[in-house]
Amino acid sequence: FKDDFSTSPHLFTPMSPYDLELPIQAASQLSQSKELLTDFSSVDLSFLPDVTQDNKEQNLSEHGHETQKELDGSLPSNEESGVLMDESSLSHPGAAQPSPEASGMCPPLTPMTPLTPASASESSGIVPQLQNIVSTVNLACKLDLKNIALHARNAEYNPKRFAAVIMRIREPRTTALIFSSGKMVCTGAKSEEQSRLAARKYARVVQKLGFPAKFLDFKIQNMVGSCDVRFPIRLEGLVLTHQQFSSYEPELFPGLVYRMVKPRIVLLIFVSGKVVLTGAKNRSEIYEAFENIYPILRGFKKPS
Amino acid sequence: MAARGRCPECGSESLVEDAHYAQQQLVCAACGCVLSEGLLTTTYTDEEHLREVAYSQSTGQKEQLSRCLQRGIRRVQDLCKVLQLPAVFEETAVSYFQRALQLPAFRLVSLEKKELLGGCCVFVTCRQRNWPLTMGTICSLLYAKQDLFAGVYLSLQKELGLSVPALSLADLVTTHLNSFQLLQPTANVPAAFLEDKEKLLARTMAIVELASETWLVTGRHPVPIVTAAAFLAWQSLQPGPRLSCPLARFCRLAGVDLPPPAHLRLKELLEILLGMASQLSWLRGFNLDRKMVVKHIGDLLQHRVFLLKNAFSQHGEEQQDTATGQGSPSSPPGAQQQGRPWAGKGQRGGTLRPLLPPCLIHPRKRLRPSAPSAPAAAPTGDEPISDSEIEQYLRSPEEIRALRKARAW
Repeated sequence: FKDDFSTSPHLFTPMSPYDLELPIQAASQLSQSKELLTDFSSVDLSFLPDVTQDNKEQNLSEHGHETQKELDGSLPSNEESGVLMDESSLSHPGAAQPSPEASGMCPPLTPMTPLTPASASESSGIVPQLQNIVSTVNLACKLDLKNIALHARNAEYNPKRFAAVIMRIREPRTTALIFSSGKMVCTGAKSEEQSRLAARKYARVVQKLGFPAKFLDFKIQNMVGSCDVRFPIRLEGLVLTHQQFSSYEPELFPGLVYRMVKPRIVLLIFVSGKVVLTGAKNRSEIYEAFENIYPILRGFKKPS
Repeated sequence: MAARGRCPECGSESLVEDAHYAQQQLVCAACGCVLSEGLLTTTYTDEEHLREVAYSQSTGQKEQLSRCLQRGIRRVQDLCKVLQLPAVFEETAVSYFQRALQLPAFRLVSLEKKELLGGCCVFVTCRQRNWPLTMGTICSLLYAKQDLFAGVYLSLQKELGLSVPALSLADLVTTHLNSFQLLQPTANVPAAFLEDKEKLLARTMAIVELASETWLVTGRHPVPIVTAAAFLAWQSLQPGPRLSCPLARFCRLAGVDLPPPAHLRLKELLEILLGMASQLSWLRGFNLDRKMVVKHIGDLLQHRVFLLKNAFSQHGEEQQDTATGQGSPSSPPGAQQQGRPWAGKGQRGGTLRPLLPPCLIHPRKRLRPSAPSAPAAAPTGDEPISDSEIEQYLRSPEEIRALRKARAW
């Protein structure tokens, strides 16, 4: 598939006289950049409010001179290593693309693409849902935990078990651990903004209890997302081919633990096709990690 | 006896070790200055000063092996001997253990964990050389709790950066069956229950392979599967007298533990076999149930490739058009009879079901959380917070008074 023109054609206007040459350039890039897996196939993420234009531009600039030849707003090319090309997809991805940019631009480009592997067709169309956000904030004042537990309805404090007050609020539904040093951990929110709002509410509660609480250094420490690829996965095969990243111990845990290096995310992959992603500091890391793992998992979807 | 060193006061070299009452002292013979007295500590430097020659010094050992390390190494060696591992395994395990103990992550852990560390090193060595050893075996040898063992194992893997290949199921079957006592005649085993090892091994392997092809193995603990497969294999080799023997009795006779999930695995295996049996032309007439299908396991295994293809709808394929209906050769009526298995839910009791892991065939009812309400109001996190909302979380003065009275805070 090395001399495949898959990635580029749908990015050119049909009128361009350079059509014939550019694909070859693109192909040579393909063979050089084998180490890059699908990177930010922001094709499908363009409708998400969180994936800003910055992301797309960054992606475009990565694929250097290739993209300069293309029209603005064109789809970034997805560089896919040859190994991951899905030989079963014969149809051109451009035709199937739901993205608005593609539809305007890729009428009859297919003559050049005998087979299109991979590229945009691999972008999953599945978006991981955020399930939990853990954040910390510094209230910057010493707190009397016993006092707080006495005056607040939603607090529990058991010094023998744990040295912090556990406080919960209903909206957004979260839990906070408030320490006597004034530091606080907020967990349970489903989005970054909700986590920040919840942390502010806790700080306000502490303020109303009479402490001079501030709101310093709010930081998201961990984000957990999950999604479903909708096909069963052969974990034994995955651990064989990706041994340096995976750890699969059925005696200990039914899922496979995949430690992705870039971005630094830990994925729990289960035989049912459900994937849990954790360890992210940003939402984009979760999306990126999933787009990286999806082609790998697709490779293991086989009728047995 | 003369000691080395110089007296700090007079510079003379004649130092003597002498005892003042029961206390050892190092004294300068020239001026009588006491250089050091007997100490209760046993640090190496002190011992050197008092000129007690350590064992390792007298034997010329350069490295100082701490007692803890020595004990650990001996434990690892004992484990290897008990498991009858080759000598090269022992060396590898000991080297891992020494490397691990030097790391700060393991140097200061409890003694219990250090013992587990030795077991982990043996376990890792075995896995790396494809020697089928399960965690359960090691834990029982060490009298360890499995979750503690798991923790030490995972951190060992991380700290030493070891890559541990997956457990090979085929080898596990072999070693597991080796421990079965139904293979030799003993007092309490009726003659009809004895079985030839090779035949049992071959058939158990075939059943385990079938299980792994039909998604019964991925994500599950391997030992219950092997136990259930061995039971089915044993029953099918001589169904007459053995069909009435339940799994629990079989394990007792064989002298192995019955792991709790084995019953479930057995049920799943039988379900698969029943599905396959419905495709065997000469069995279609019978109304097979779970017990009777055992008799035909031999045939089912022989034709399993064909049967698997026909008995279960493959992922992504349309329904098979092979004649699997009630003997009718043309496809449409046959296809009609097969349900619509593509939806991903199994056809319970139907002739066809998708070949999926059991967790997808019988999904547990889960409360799906409602869709995120982000569209409702794009939250910024900086919305104003109303006082009333916060006040609902604060206790009223009456409450506090009542609490104070109740708890005497």
